[in-house]
Amino acid sequence: MNTRLAVVLSLTAFAASVSVLAHHSFTAEFDENKPLSLTGTVTKLEWNNPHTWFFMDVKNPDGSVTNWGLELAGPTQLLRAGWKRDAMKIGDAVKVEAFRARDDSNTANAKGIVNVATGKPVFTGTAARP
Amino acid sequence: MHILRTPWRGVALAVMASGVLAGSVQAQWLELPVPGTPRTSDGKPNMNAPTPRARDGKPSLAGIWRADTMRYNTNLVPDGQEAPMLPWAAEVYKHRLATQGFERPGSRCMPHGAPDAMTVYDFKVLQLPEVMVHLYEEMHKYRQIHTDGRPLPVDPDPAWYGYSIGRWDGDTFVAETAGFRGDDGTWLDNNGHPHTDALRLTERFRRINWGRMEVDVTIDDPKAYSRPWSAQTMRFDQQADTEMLEQLCENNRSIETLQKVWKPMSTTPAPGGRP
Repeated sequence: MNTRLAVVLSLTAFAASVSVLAHHSFTAEFDENKPLSLTGTVTKLEWNNPHTWFFMDVKNPDGSVTNWGLELAGPTQLLRAGWKRDAMKIGDAVKVEAFRARDDSNTANAKGIVNVATGKPVFTGTAARP
Repeated sequence: MHILRTPWRGVALAVMASGVLAGSVQAQWLELPVPGTPRTSDGKPNMNAPTPRARDGKPSLAGIWRADTMRYNTNLVPDGQEAPMLPWAAEVYKHRLATQGFERPGSRCMPHGAPDAMTVYDFKVLQLPEVMVHLYEEMHKYRQIHTDGRPLPVDPDPAWYGYSIGRWDGDTFVAETAGFRGDDGTWLDNNGHPHTDALRLTERFRRINWGRMEVDVTIDDPKAYSRPWSAQTMRFDQQADTEMLEQLCENNRSIETLQKVWKPMSTTPAPGGRP
């Protein structure tokens, strides 16, 4: 087995073992038919269980700014995935792929986050299980 | 596809980061050599080592366990089967599915119970001479399965996890639990199979080898089901060289959205007459 395949298999096993949204029903809160792509600046990080939340300012086409709240897996799962709370800092520019909340509020579940400056993912690998 | 690819790259980095950190001092005991762990010649935990034994010669169930799939947490019922629900229970179940499980106890920061607290996050078993203790990572909860010969309590105050006693049947540890809360207690799984205060739960634990444990569960609740039924056999993997983490429900932002979206479909009281 080559190293790349071994890594892929181990990652598959890892992902299968991670339970992300067992706290509440993902589909009750978020709508997979409402994908979003947001780019903005991190304003706040709440490193708490059962879900980490972070907030970001996103500039709208008309020049106004909206503060979005994004849900992630809890610190317990993020720690096990190798992340520490300082992986995301206030002021970081990030690009986020997310699913919007069913109530159309400015909240969403973040499926993928990339730090714009480094081009590297942040707090990912624990994407929400539908 | 970009959305799908990004998380995998994140996992790759995460695992690489974990590897780099292995052996160094960490803020949590995520990776540390646990004494007593059987090892292969390369020093890795030997998951296929024989089932360890306690001092009394019985199999030891001790250690940190994680379900090999979230499937049990989602639905206890075996593949291709349906639980033999009484009409009112079927109505409740149907409603819970139709409303995406928004009223799951976890939505209001209440934990999973017995048996599904075992299937959500890691849990640790402490096997003592007179009691088997489960420490559930989810919401920092515990459960005691007494093995000192006491009987189940008569007419106990209904409890979220019920009251548990255990005994050995050969190399199988059998836990019997009764005295559950009813409507205001746990769901049997995230899909929402209901139970009442008449639930009597039997769990049979078998440690296959050092790294694997299987649990068979029987649900006997004559107020909700027409006959006792067996759940899908649950399989658990030993989590070697690590430790439990604290997990409290301290930041429940989800409840606001859930109530806004689903309150019109709330089942308080639930549809249908309850016995």
